[in-house]
Amino acid sequence: MLTANALCCERDDRILFRHLSFELGEGEVLQVQGSNGSGKTTLLRILCGLNEGYQGAIRWYGEAIADQVENFFASLLYIGHRVGVNKVLTPLENLRWSCSLQQQVSDGAILAALAEFGLRGFEESQCFTLSAGQQQRVALARLLINPARLWILDEPFTTLDSDGVAQLENLLRQHAQSGGSVLVTTHHKLSLSPLEILSLD
Amino acid sequence: MWQWFFKLGSPKWFYELSGKWLPWLVAAMSLLLVIGITWALLFVPPDYQQGNTIRIMYIHVPFASISLAFFPLMAVAGTITLVWRMKLADMVAKTAAPLGAWFTALALISGSIWGSDIWGTWWIWDGRLTSMLLQFFLLVGVISLRSALEDTDAAAKACAVLSIVGCINVFVIKYSVDWWNTLHQPSSPIGMAGDSANGPEIWVPLVIMIVAVYLFFAVSLILSTRNEILQRERRSKWVQELLASA
Amino acid sequence: MTERRITTAAAFRATLARDLLIAYKRKNDIINPFMFFLIVATLFPIGISPDPQRLGEIAAGVLWISALLAAMLSMDNLYRADYEDGSLEQLLLSPHPLYFMVLAKNISHWLVSGLPVVLASPLIAYMLNLPTDVYFALFMTLLLGTPVLSLLGSIGVALTVGLGSRGLILAVITLPMSVPVLIAGTMAVQQTLNGAPLTAYLAILGAMLLASITLAPLASAAALRISIN
Repeated sequence: MLTANALCCERDDRILFRHLSFELGEGEVLQVQGSNGSGKTTLLRILCGLNEGYQGAIRWYGEAIADQVENFFASLLYIGHRVGVNKVLTPLENLRWSCSLQQQVSDGAILAALAEFGLRGFEESQCFTLSAGQQQRVALARLLINPARLWILDEPFTTLDSDGVAQLENLLRQHAQSGGSVLVTTHHKLSLSPLEILSLD
Repeated sequence: MWQWFFKLGSPKWFYELSGKWLPWLVAAMSLLLVIGITWALLFVPPDYQQGNTIRIMYIHVPFASISLAFFPLMAVAGTITLVWRMKLADMVAKTAAPLGAWFTALALISGSIWGSDIWGTWWIWDGRLTSMLLQFFLLVGVISLRSALEDTDAAAKACAVLSIVGCINVFVIKYSVDWWNTLHQPSSPIGMAGDSANGPEIWVPLVIMIVAVYLFFAVSLILSTRNEILQRERRSKWVQELLASA
Repeated sequence: MTERRITTAAAFRATLARDLLIAYKRKNDIINPFMFFLIVATLFPIGISPDPQRLGEIAAGVLWISALLAAMLSMDNLYRADYEDGSLEQLLLSPHPLYFMVLAKNISHWLVSGLPVVLASPLIAYMLNLPTDVYFALFMTLLLGTPVLSLLGSIGVALTVGLGSRGLILAVITLPMSVPVLIAGTMAVQQTLNGAPLTAYLAILGAMLLASITLAPLASAAALRISIN
């Protein structure tokens, strides 16, 4: 569904990657690997359309993304390094907003997703009282709420504890089994069976 | 037509073409400057009201008139940068901003010197002076935004947006300041362009000076754009070859 | 799946509600611009003269300049926190036109920082001895003019949101841009004082407001896409 052809990106006179081509099909999980500074985050941001400093072609179901931005954004869920959780708001309020950018959502669905990610009892506390891992979980709860087909996740495992890691892996597996696709960067060793690897080194 | 347009966007092509034109432009500019300045200083009759002070007009008017061209120029270059991602357009925009600030400052200073004699003061809140000063501030804003952004590409686009917004703003400022000025000062001070009869002995040297200063502007812009090209394309093959042969 | 897609209007409302909620929770966002406005306006009688006659003459200008500075100084919060916590990326990735999302944030900013200033202006006008006949003119021009300041300032903030140390660059960029609004606002008050009809000035300010509602969010949206790069 997502194909990249001959991507090339240089930043500050340094070539991050070039002639990078890959294809991400339905039901596939693609792990992007590479040492620090190899351009993993930049690649993900390019694929989301947040970064335009590249050459090459990115297609979504065979069509250039620029021709169908709304369509693409409606089926994309991106969780970056900065997870998009406002510190002043509560997890419930945060998700009410970030989910409603894409679809109508009921408080019940949000509360259920938060509970699923072990945040029961924290729904109404302001996010600055939560730990980094808990904030990460708030953002990840969107995976349960938004039925986006394509997930692009930047280092989603870093702040999670071992339970959280297992739960997220499980979620990725289910998403792939139901025909969704995942693009993920992590240094963590994923124990998913059909797993494509893209190395930037 | 389009092919020509995109060829123009190639820094290498511009560098070579401008290299061929530059001697001619410099020659024409020097000739006109010498004729214009000599004429203005030695042969123009003194004004019956302003005396010899009128000669400052031959510097002030050309600089003031070209200062008005900078924001439209930067806005057009900015549009080209945003729409066609043409690198050359941004190099022109980048070099135009400081040049514009210099030209605007010179227009302000020469206007102030002229004013010191005919108005008896170095500064009044005259409509033209005020909008020129505000344009200077806007240009400084563009320059400081450019220098604050480290990434060349982001700086190019951000300055393009600011130049387009600034260009619209300069026009609105010009009209509103004129309006503000007429309401505050019903009796406008002595007109700057000399109220005396404008015979050809007055305006012919003025036209020569205006053309000369436009050429000076073109030469400065081309020279600094060429510098910028060499700087940005320093890793490309043709610049390396150029440096090796020099 | 698709039938649950949200309309742009609903996403607009959600963004507006979120920003107002954040401002409500961070009381400083509401109180500080307002206090700043009061303090700056207080400095003028101290710095210039407590003479009621002279104050009355400059009152309109003082109020407008204070409102302008208050709007500029409160601008910084507009996209900053969202940029730092990643919410801005989410906003840019929403399937709705960014124009409306930016407009929602600008409206919220004005409701939080501009409206209190407008509402308090008659009080300060009284303290500065502005002739009572022009209170209405002052109030109306501020009501139409301060949203323009928010919309214009938003462009400057959007352009500089990615900068590590911005210092005064925001003020350098945006203050000259707000000169036409300042002129229209203060002229309206002064000319009404001289007996000119107010409607013409309100029409000019209204035209400025309409033009900036249509154009400024487009520029802000473009600037945000560039800054997030």
